[in-house]
Amino acid sequence: HVKIIYTLRLSVSCVFNVDSQLTLSHPLTSPSRMGSVLAASSPNPPPPTSGGAASGLTVPPGFGMPPVIPSSGEASGQEQEDDSRLPNPGTFDECHRKCKEVFPMQMEGVRLFVNKGLSNHFQVNHTLLLSTTGDSTYRFGATYVGTKQMGPAEFFPVMVGDIDNSGSLNAQIIHQIANGVRSKLAFQTQQQKFVNWQCDAEFKGEDYTATVTIGNPDVLVGSGIVVTHYLQSITPALALGGELVYHSRPGEEGTVMSLAGRYTGSNYIATLTLGSAGAHASYYHKANEQLQVGVELEASTRMQDTSVSFGYQLDVPKANLLFKGSVDSNWVVGATLEKKLLPLPLSLVLCTFLNHQKNKFQCGFGVTIG
Amino acid sequence: MGSVLALSSSPGHQNWPFSPDPPPSHWDRRDGRLPNPGSFHSLHRSCKDVFPQQIEGVKMILNKTLSSFFKVSHTLHLSAVSPSYYRFHVEHLQSDDYSKDKDAPALIGEMDSSGSLNAHALLHLNERVRARTVFQTQQSQFVTWQFETEYRGNDFTAAVTVANPDVPRESVILVAHFLQSVSSGLVLGGELVYHRGRAEEGGILTLAGQYSRPNWVATLNAGKGGAHASYYHRANKQIQVGVEFEASTRTQETTTSFGYQMELPEANMVFRGMINSRCIIGGVLEKRLTPLPATLIMGAFVNHRGDKLQVGLGINVG
Repeated sequence: HVKIIYTLRLSVSCVFNVDSQLTLSHPLTSPSRMGSVLAASSPNPPPPTSGGAASGLTVPPGFGMPPVIPSSGEASGQEQEDDSRLPNPGTFDECHRKCKEVFPMQMEGVRLFVNKGLSNHFQVNHTLLLSTTGDSTYRFGATYVGTKQMGPAEFFPVMVGDIDNSGSLNAQIIHQIANGVRSKLAFQTQQQKFVNWQCDAEFKGEDYTATVTIGNPDVLVGSGIVVTHYLQSITPALALGGELVYHSRPGEEGTVMSLAGRYTGSNYIATLTLGSAGAHASYYHKANEQLQVGVELEASTRMQDTSVSFGYQLDVPKANLLFKGSVDSNWVVGATLEKKLLPLPLSLVLCTFLNHQKNKFQCGFGVTIG
Repeated sequence: MGSVLALSSSPGHQNWPFSPDPPPSHWDRRDGRLPNPGSFHSLHRSCKDVFPQQIEGVKMILNKTLSSFFKVSHTLHLSAVSPSYYRFHVEHLQSDDYSKDKDAPALIGEMDSSGSLNAHALLHLNERVRARTVFQTQQSQFVTWQFETEYRGNDFTAAVTVANPDVPRESVILVAHFLQSVSSGLVLGGELVYHRGRAEEGGILTLAGQYSRPNWVATLNAGKGGAHASYYHRANKQIQVGVEFEASTRTQETTTSFGYQMELPEANMVFRGMINSRCIIGGVLEKRLTPLPATLIMGAFVNHRGDKLQVGLGINVG
């Protein structure tokens, strides 16, 4: 039945002219090979424009790449201007971003985050995390933004670095090489061992975006991962694209392909990603100025399970309050409350997650200064 | 060293940080006579109230006053380390003269979602004689049942407690307390504990002394079971400080604790911090969220020696 699914995809891909060298005929017969292929499909490079201090790399807003362009106002605005011009669809990674941002982020223990801007180009942050379950850590991060200006709030090169008290390093360099070509180098170490090193190049055309990423290339061992993304605007609201992951190790190699489609409405965005690794569908809806809602369905063929999550975000700017709640099909209920304590440049975050199935409870709070 | 009966939400300084009444002072002279020294249990109370209470997980307390005699409260505790519970607490006051007095005559009952019961009955039989009965069960098994009678004289207090009398097993614990005001600031007294089981019996004598001045109180309990010394100091209207030293011959260890309480009524905030000789550092922040009748409590306790952290959030409504 695997071959049948592949022939269907082949017909769909011909519609929008995807590279015909795609190895759709690659035999994925033996279950062990299937397992290893799916296991090796590397996670996408860490997104450069995430908001708060997550465990990976973060670039503060305004310093990184611009957000997803097709929103309600801009899409219709473009249409009115020039019917023949389609907007750039953004990058492949950011397809599900709008929906994921609605969900609360799990946090436990006590966290203190101090952010200090030393100049227009340099910013430094300290994070102290006292954890109830794991080890407590101190993390130091620095962000440097260069002088080459590409847009109203974009400056290049952007260098973001992060080091842990145990010596784990995260580093990213993002640079605009030419008009429409952006490149990124990322390194990640676990104490003194390199676990992730990758390089990618992104080509932004008028109505398409193509990205090539080379991950963990190891010439001595002969292994590496190549990820190709392509996203094309078909109409001002519809964007279609695909992802191809090719990984190689001495002794085995394989590819994983998935297709993506995104439809943007007046106040909603629906995204679907389908592949041999599973399916991921998300729906984001902006009800009004204060309420945003997101629904997500994830199905994984590797782990043979699916999960549905429902999340909402309530914004009360008058009370300087941001509340995010989520309910999961894994019986996980969670909520995050963020409150800005004006006039101090202080922000308080309270977070609790309750897993009814395993009867586990986690709570944490954090203070952000600056 | 006496029995400690801990009610989960007993009225007292911890729940009412903004009580308009001034703190109770033993050092007030009334008609030139020596004042009554209070009960034996409250000797170390002013120092203990300064220390933050250990808080863990998320706790929501809903207090509802149904009438001037009847109060009800619901507590929901979600915890990571211990099982979560719901607790129902009821207070029926004998008379509504005492609104915030800790020793007001009342019937107090508390029931847990696991079936544990905690019942206190405080009765003022007379102007001078008080009786107290305590029953505590752990699910279906009775853990504590004790009966106490206290006589408050002009300048002395005497109390006798019978704890866990068990006729079939022939075991009982008898405690006798005596406190006498010797001068305007000095209170001396003692405690005699006699415990009898099927195989053994014994008695422990502890002597107690307390010296108070307008700004500070020093208390000492010393006996064969150990020693307990505490010092409470009120630096100004906002800062109170307490130091405590406990030594036990049974567990062969000593602990020194330092705690402070900082009140900021303009910010509707009370902060209590403490540091311990067991390398435990803790802090609890209580903030009243006006105009809502709600109080937010945030606290964290770090045990550096065992490398453990405990974080708690609570909200008290009503």
